[in-house]
Amino acid sequence: MNLDFSQIVPYIPFMLEGIWVTLKFVFFAIILGSILGTLLALFKIGSAKPLRWFADAYTSIFRGTPLILQLMIIYYSIPQLTGYDISPFLSAILAFGLNSSAYISEIIRAGIQAVDKGQLEAAQALGVPYGAMMKDIILPQALKNILPALMNEFITLTKESAIVSTIGYLDLMRRAQVVGADLFRNFEPLLFVGLIYWCLVMGLTVIGRMVERRLKLSD
Amino acid sequence: MIDVQALSKKFGDNLVLSDISTSIQKGEVVAIIGPSGSGKSTFLRCLNLLETPSSGSIEINGKNLTASKKEIHKIRQQIGMVFQHFHLFPHMTVLENLMYAPMKAKGVKKYDAEEKARQLLERVGLAQKADAYPNSLSGGQKQRVAIARALAMEPELMLFDEPTSALDPEMVKEVLEVMKDLAKSGMTMVVVTHEMGFAREVADRVLFLDHGVLVEEGEPESFFKHPASERARDFLDKVL
Repeated sequence: MNLDFSQIVPYIPFMLEGIWVTLKFVFFAIILGSILGTLLALFKIGSAKPLRWFADAYTSIFRGTPLILQLMIIYYSIPQLTGYDISPFLSAILAFGLNSSAYISEIIRAGIQAVDKGQLEAAQALGVPYGAMMKDIILPQALKNILPALMNEFITLTKESAIVSTIGYLDLMRRAQVVGADLFRNFEPLLFVGLIYWCLVMGLTVIGRMVERRLKLSD
Repeated sequence: MIDVQALSKKFGDNLVLSDISTSIQKGEVVAIIGPSGSGKSTFLRCLNLLETPSSGSIEINGKNLTASKKEIHKIRQQIGMVFQHFHLFPHMTVLENLMYAPMKAKGVKKYDAEEKARQLLERVGLAQKADAYPNSLSGGQKQRVAIARALAMEPELMLFDEPTSALDPEMVKEVLEVMKDLAKSGMTMVVVTHEMGFAREVADRVLFLDHGVLVEEGEPESFFKHPASERARDFLDKVL
């Protein structure tokens, strides 16, 4: 054992900057994934057949292929097909957002279907329009039930974000590799960012618990 | 006010309502009774299209219910419904439960909705529960809130689907009192019930359903004393 953390000290600011870089695209990917996932879930439970078919096909494709492949395809094929030189940042948001929406749509679909059918009937009987009913009655109750599963998905996304290092995006993981190459020592920088990833996930877990507690207010 | 013509409902091959015709006048209180599985609830749920009839027609205030899919929200706003299992919105306070539909579906202003809601809570004797969540209420209180929630839309007609069947015995009375009060105020009511006492005392007319067929209808006095049909006699022997 010849661990020597003193050598990475000069690189710490460089690696810490990676937190912001990682969080930035993870944040946008979660937003994109949640919005798309909710829409897809509504397609899946709706009565329009083409939309249902589309949502099922979408889920099957994005769940059925590796995320790293989707990331590469977006990053390399968009410039080739359209001539638009897509940035690693945008590719990452797209790949993670699109991929995550497939999983999130399944979580939300299950959550909606677990809400007592009587809630829907009560809202219908009161003459509440479909959109308002979904937004105010069904989704808030579904959200309460699926929050743990949803937090799980967000945690997975945060950790898996490390694979954007493969397209040269300077996230936490990539920065650890850069520092490792500079020092000819990999273990210390990898351990360092590992700790940071763990802290990020702990932060998410705490936020999840807080939201859960707030939603439980009505029990 | 309500005119039902040759109403039938099938679930798959199963005929649950067969060729039912009747009409209900404004201000009338109609009790629907019959053995379980006789189609009482299905009939009631057809009246606000929670079930879509397989054939036949329902007219409410001259408007054909089955023809106007698009106007169904508007029509439902005039029909209050109270369910066996209350179906209050658990993530809203009692007051919010009452205010939600008038504000969202009818565009009532928040201030007016709240005033109306508080009045109604007063009327069902639950003014002090305005800020409680439904889960903290007893069954009887929940059902009274559910009645108030339906009344908040100022409906012309109230449907009750076995409103006391899920309640502990000691809570049945408080709900029936509220319903009696409502009947006295001139509300048109259609009540599916197992409470024969209520049917007898409050209803203007009793419909007896068995196996999806409207076997008999009449005034409660004569129906309970001298049921015309064998099946009604059988049923009353068992429940009274």
